[in-house]
Amino acid sequence: MSSVGGKQAEAVPDKELLARHAQGDPHAFAELVQRHRDRMWAVALRTLGDPEEAADALQDAFLSAFRAVGRFRGEAAVTTWLHRIVINACLDRLRRQSIRPSVPMGDDATLDAIAPKNADPTALHEVALDVAAALQQLPYEQRAALILVDMMGYGVDEAARVLEVPTGTVKSRCARGRARLAPLLGHLRNRRGGSIVQRAEEGGGSVQ
Amino acid sequence: MTAAHLDYDTLADLAEGLLADSRAASADAHLADCAECRGRSAEIADVTRLLADAPMPPMPAELASRIDDALAAEAAASSHVVSLESRRGRRRIRILSAAAATVVVVGGGALVGHSLLTGPVSSENGAAQSQPIQDRTGSAAARPPGASALKGSGGGATGAGGGHLALRSGTDYTDARLGDQISAQLAQGESRSAEDLAPEQLTGCVRRVTQGKMPLLVDLARYEGRSATVIVLPGTGSDRLDVWIVRPTCSASDPALIKHTQAVR
Repeated sequence: MSSVGGKQAEAVPDKELLARHAQGDPHAFAELVQRHRDRMWAVALRTLGDPEEAADALQDAFLSAFRAVGRFRGEAAVTTWLHRIVINACLDRLRRQSIRPSVPMGDDATLDAIAPKNADPTALHEVALDVAAALQQLPYEQRAALILVDMMGYGVDEAARVLEVPTGTVKSRCARGRARLAPLLGHLRNRRGGSIVQRAEEGGGSVQ
Repeated sequence: MTAAHLDYDTLADLAEGLLADSRAASADAHLADCAECRGRSAEIADVTRLLADAPMPPMPAELASRIDDALAAEAAASSHVVSLESRRGRRRIRILSAAAATVVVVGGGALVGHSLLTGPVSSENGAAQSQPIQDRTGSAAARPPGASALKGSGGGATGAGGGHLALRSGTDYTDARLGDQISAQLAQGESRSAEDLAPEQLTGCVRRVTQGKMPLLVDLARYEGRSATVIVLPGTGSDRLDVWIVRPTCSASDPALIKHTQAVR
């Protein structure tokens, strides 16, 4: 029975898993989800800023990926394709939200979801919350670009493939997003003491 | 010649290489002289660092299992619509295409006479007692007639839905090796649990083919290179198998028969 999706699954490339899923292997897609769900969750959570919405968006995204496997084009990386589906699902949610009152930021639920479960309870936590809240101040396009490039560490080219826009557009969205975030996050640079402030001073910058 | 200070947008564009050469040159010149703008420029660089350093919580366990459940439900739903595939569009076909052929084998006479609806029946020699193959406690289908270990608990497993467990062995059955291939599947029956509950359409198909008899094997596999379902029933002798090979479209109303043949275990 476990001729597929068994122990060797770890070594199976994403594309192979997707192909097996397309051929009816009932375990292949679950394996794919398991592999990437933390990254996808991070993207959805940061994009939407609200854990409930992010959870719904992510479920939508995985289901539509499950169904849309036939539309996967082999030239893209599977993760690129998955990110695109997740981001589009988030965008769908945002469009729906826009006809409802917006979700307040910084409530307990958000805090819980964003908090690292077993990590340093104070400093990182506050940074995460502030960063998440600040991201919500950005227009959606800038936020998505910054999440991919600065937060998740993808190259501009990769982000451009995910977002299906030219690389110049990604660069410009990132730059504008950083310009908006810089004053919003200024207090974190001070609060964190140490490295960031020092770097700024070494560079001759005046930090307020 | 101190020009006006550079705003965040300009500094961010400069850092990203988006400014035209002449504009970039004058901005650089200003930065060289202006500590305040250098500070702002450093703030922009720190945005990237702050974003990269922000902790990324793993997906909450509740959500992970919720998504797993949703995907399992979706998988079950897609496998239930074989008969609707032409209406539901291509993706269903794609998902299901590998599972396309069913082989039904009807085995030794001892197992004949069981209805999916009536469940197991004991006979004097004990040979006729069988379990539906969906009984997860063990595959009666693979036991030789007369095996006394049969628990006879299969009736309940037939359930109101009359669902079968169907295998997806991946076998490409061929005429030349049919008996051996089926025997190999039957021999494994004990140690292996079947993959999933057969969708209603398949259940209808199996009932149509077996006329209510208990199949020894239902395998969503291939036959001579084509997707087919192999349904095996006991044959007229203890080593004989009654084999029905049907197309994936097989249903209660149309068996979509490819081949009906006898094989020897």
